[in-house]
Amino acid sequence: MLNYLALLPTLPLVGFLILTAFGKSLSKRSVVAIGVGSMALAAMLTIGIAIHFLSAPPPGHVFEQHLWTWFQVGDLAPGFSLYLDALSLAMILVITLVGFLIHLYSAEFMRDDDAYARFFAYMNLFVSLMLILVLADNLLLLYLGWEGVGMCSFLLIGFWYKKPENSKAAQKAFIVTRVGDTAMAIGLFLLITQLGTLDIQELGVRASEKWPVGSGMAVAAAALLLGGAVGKSAQLPLQTWLPDAMAGPSPVSALIHAATMVTAGVYLIARTHALFALAPVVLTAVMLIGLLTQLTAGISAVHQRDIKRILAYSTISQLGYMFFALGVSSNGAAINHLMTHACFKATWFLAAGAVIIAVNHEHDIFKMGGLGKKLPVLFWTMFFAGCGPFFSKDGILAEVWFSDTGGPFLWLLGLFGVFVTSIYLFRLLFTVFLGPLKNDVHWKPGLAITIPLVILATGSVVGAIVEYPRLLGYHPYATGTEAAHASPYLHAAIGKIAVGVALAGIYVAYRLFVRHKHYEAGEVVVPHITLRMRRLFAAGWYFDRAYHAAFVVPFQATSRFLRSELIDRGYDAVVALVQTGHRQIRRSQTGRLRWYAAGIAVGAVFCLGAVLL
Amino acid sequence: MNTTDLIALSPLLIVGLSAVAILLLISLRRNHRAVATLALGGLALAMASIPQAAAVAPHHIAPLMMADGYALFYSALLLAASFVVGLLSFDYLEQRGEQREEYYVLLLLATLGGLVLVGANHFVSLFLGLEILSVAIYVMVAYARSSPLAAETGIKYLILAGTSSAFMVFGMALVYAQTGTLEFGPMAAQLMQMEDFGLALPGMAMMLVGVGFKLAVVPFHMWTPEVYQGAPVPVTAFVATVSKGAMFALLLRFFAAFEADEAQPIMNILGLLAIASMLAGNLLALLEDNVKRLLAYSSIAHLGYVLVAFLAESSFGDEAVTFYLVAYFISTLAAFGVISVLSDGKSEADRMEDFRGLYWRRPMLATLMTAALLSLAGIPLTTGFVAKFAVVAAGVKAALWVPVFALALGSAIGLYYYLRLVVVMLSPVNPTDDSNSEATATDDAMSTRAPNPAILRPKKVPIGPAFALSILAIFLLGLGVLPTPLMDFIKSSVSELR
Amino acid sequence: MNPIPMEQSLMVAAMLFSLGLIGLLVRRNVIFMLISIEIMLNAAGLAFVVAGSHWQAADGQVMFLFIITMAAAEVAIGLALVLRLQSDLPTLDVDAMDQLKGGDDA
Repeated sequence: MLNYLALLPTLPLVGFLILTAFGKSLSKRSVVAIGVGSMALAAMLTIGIAIHFLSAPPPGHVFEQHLWTWFQVGDLAPGFSLYLDALSLAMILVITLVGFLIHLYSAEFMRDDDAYARFFAYMNLFVSLMLILVLADNLLLLYLGWEGVGMCSFLLIGFWYKKPENSKAAQKAFIVTRVGDTAMAIGLFLLITQLGTLDIQELGVRASEKWPVGSGMAVAAAALLLGGAVGKSAQLPLQTWLPDAMAGPSPVSALIHAATMVTAGVYLIARTHALFALAPVVLTAVMLIGLLTQLTAGISAVHQRDIKRILAYSTISQLGYMFFALGVSSNGAAINHLMTHACFKATWFLAAGAVIIAVNHEHDIFKMGGLGKKLPVLFWTMFFAGCGPFFSKDGILAEVWFSDTGGPFLWLLGLFGVFVTSIYLFRLLFTVFLGPLKNDVHWKPGLAITIPLVILATGSVVGAIVEYPRLLGYHPYATGTEAAHASPYLHAAIGKIAVGVALAGIYVAYRLFVRHKHYEAGEVVVPHITLRMRRLFAAGWYFDRAYHAAFVVPFQATSRFLRSELIDRGYDAVVALVQTGHRQIRRSQTGRLRWYAAGIAVGAVFCLGAVLL
Repeated sequence: MNTTDLIALSPLLIVGLSAVAILLLISLRRNHRAVATLALGGLALAMASIPQAAAVAPHHIAPLMMADGYALFYSALLLAASFVVGLLSFDYLEQRGEQREEYYVLLLLATLGGLVLVGANHFVSLFLGLEILSVAIYVMVAYARSSPLAAETGIKYLILAGTSSAFMVFGMALVYAQTGTLEFGPMAAQLMQMEDFGLALPGMAMMLVGVGFKLAVVPFHMWTPEVYQGAPVPVTAFVATVSKGAMFALLLRFFAAFEADEAQPIMNILGLLAIASMLAGNLLALLEDNVKRLLAYSSIAHLGYVLVAFLAESSFGDEAVTFYLVAYFISTLAAFGVISVLSDGKSEADRMEDFRGLYWRRPMLATLMTAALLSLAGIPLTTGFVAKFAVVAAGVKAALWVPVFALALGSAIGLYYYLRLVVVMLSPVNPTDDSNSEATATDDAMSTRAPNPAILRPKKVPIGPAFALSILAIFLLGLGVLPTPLMDFIKSSVSELR
Repeated sequence: MNPIPMEQSLMVAAMLFSLGLIGLLVRRNVIFMLISIEIMLNAAGLAFVVAGSHWQAADGQVMFLFIITMAAAEVAIGLALVLRLQSDLPTLDVDAMDQLKGGDDA
């Protein structure tokens, strides 16, 4: 079974190729058969691989499959090689199973869209590239998948390209993640030059031989990789693209911007943990970034009105928790949260998409209400799915308490985040589904929408109980915290406090949004907060505005400056020094040809000056 | 001149003879198709003769030319590029009712000049090759006589190229005055023995003006947008590829003869030119609305990238240069090929607006254009990515941190305008004839100039360009996934250089 | 009679070259620009002849022959283009040729 691993990314890729080539001439039924069918096959294959992997583990619990050598440059020969261990197994399970359910949902959700084939083509391509990303055995192939999923995300955010703001959101997402990707690319080159390989396992070995803990090189390499992860996973300070990315269709938000692509940063850090372990400073940075992100994004989420933007900020916040866990070297807790969060957030996004359709494309939660009676399936799946992550989060918080870099204070801050999380989640749930009915609902979700929701919600609840990574042999609490193993009961107790806080949060949300008198106005959030503060939170802490002023404006100005060929005129000064005919040139600036000749002359003078002086 | 010499020179001879044969044919009878067939046949035959020539390589045709694996590799590259340009030109000229036949003479002569340049081992052959190439291009850029821009473009290119040639020749004279030889190898040996380069250093600096002009690196770049825009599209493709590639091959051969630190001042200059080109080229292209000008600015940056690998001064760097040029040739030809196919008898499809919604009208062409742009941007799975990777690896290996940094910065900027064009191709053309057209208010502001209707009308791509474009598409993606065979081949070809 | 040292002769060539370059930069008439380029090329030719005589070799003069040949070809094409330009624009002023430019029209 394991030998079919290479088939896994191939299946959706074939789907993509067929849909691109013949998409226009295919009926919607055949488009579904190909687009969803390829995913169904991939999901079944993944289950087969998982069963094989767990029942008859390959030596060292690692399976490698070398396909071919991509290219050879110097000593570097990155290959198309796949690497399967417990970590990548966890990822491919999420990608193909959750991915399949979302595809199934899309078959109904997107039915009325003209570009049905194009949608499934992009989705299939995305899954294929995401699988390459997590199965890559070297960083270059990983980078290929990394850039590829970024491109698919760009295409799918702008899927409804006829609305200009959607294209703008797509570009924003691409450009902001680009900042991180550039850092990551530089990091890759640093690793190549310093360690001479990009093979992930080999990198870990060579790095720990060559670099002592805390050495400058290790810190630089880890920091650059972190830059890439921060961009992809929408962490501070590169988080601004994700809320806008909600311009894409809901299944896209569920698949790419909640369950899979945005977790690539988490995966990258977990995968290259050996490097990060050599740079404790960077790990601390990971932890602080995660902590700050989850707090700021959580508070922003409480102040949003658009149902999808609430979920976007929530996603940023939950990713922050994963970073928090990675920062205290508790990869298992991070992956555990990743898996339950994938089920939970996919459910919520899919359900939110269904709600939006049901209420006639309304996004403002305060214009909805009482939908619980009309759409009970959505309410209950969301409710149960929403409970799952609190349990995986308590694991993270317990790890923080016991880790060397964490401690009770950070734990307390994390705990506050849990409180905020339950407020904004249940604020959404209660506002939309409880209270008096405000909307006409003429639409009921069909089976293709209900089944994925129920399965995903079940997945979230089951995940809270069994801790998936443990099942896969990826021990949730394997690294770092001896203290936890010394007193497992204390560990459990510390964790369960989080659940208590979450319940408190739910109660507060209930009081505020169901029982509170001002709830009808839709404005009451936290009563004592000032208006200015509230605006700050609602606008996502003004990161966008700051970035616009700091980068976009000067960049455009520079390009305008250069485009008016002022750069050519800049040579004037040099010309004046060395050319006697300078005055006449100045007098007749319209003479373009002579400007160009002057450019050549100045260049010549420059060349001569450089060698003679 | 013996038989071996003739075999080693057979690609040049065949191209030269084909040009003469076309002249004779035209004097007998004007027939566009026959002439084009003859020209393309000549180019194909010349390509077919390269294996024969390779059998006797490396062969030194004393004292002017060198027929080694390196020269033959570049000859094949130039011939292939000319062949593609020829295929594109036929349909382009067919739509324009002018005197078309002489064009092929010029095309072949320009190619001949390029072939002489890549094999040049001597100042005389350098000069001859350069001038055969340039003089033919002067006429080619001004070939579209009905276009009001043609003569202006031609004059501009001629005067600037003439100036740069004068610099180059004067520089050669200074180098000759210092060394007393015109041949590359002895010249380098001579200079190596001297304490300092004396007159040769300013001489080389002046030669850089000529080189820099042909490569269009900052500050010798200013002709590029004008000539790219004003020349017929196939000619633009030729100027962008063959002329630049031949000059780079020469630059590489000339400096490969020197030890690394001897020519350091010259290398420093080239380093500065490369950095300036990468930054200025990308910034100039950023908001450009004419696609031909955009590609011109981007080519300035691309030559800057290649210079980074050149500056590495290692066999590894030579391989990277060669691979990058191959990738650049393929991507550039594909991009100009699409523009050429989209153009009709009256106007060229070179405005951004002409590409609006191309994906929905002509999906194959739009996809190819996207692939070409992604390759130019260096996105994985295209040949441009592998090429850029090799260049950066070479630069990093030689510890050229500043140029590599400029390269990374330039690429980041570059991605913006490549994707901008991709997005335009994905946008809807005409809001009224699309069923689902809610908001195009901001788009309307951009589309005040209506796109050329002929470009919107789907039509069949003629067989010649279709063939050329499919080959380019295969290489564009094929070399991105499986570049190893070509890389190995390049490695064995350029190994004789140092 | 003492031979003229090579450096001095090269200096003459360099001055000639600079004069040509200055002429190119200050002249607005296309014909004069072509003439200026001719002067620059001839300066280079002179430098070659000087260097050739310094090394007692014919190479310099051979190069000079090539240079004049090429200069003639270039001027022939240049004048042909000027003729065509004349029919479009009733002037030889290069500053009037600015239909092709970037920046402001886009």
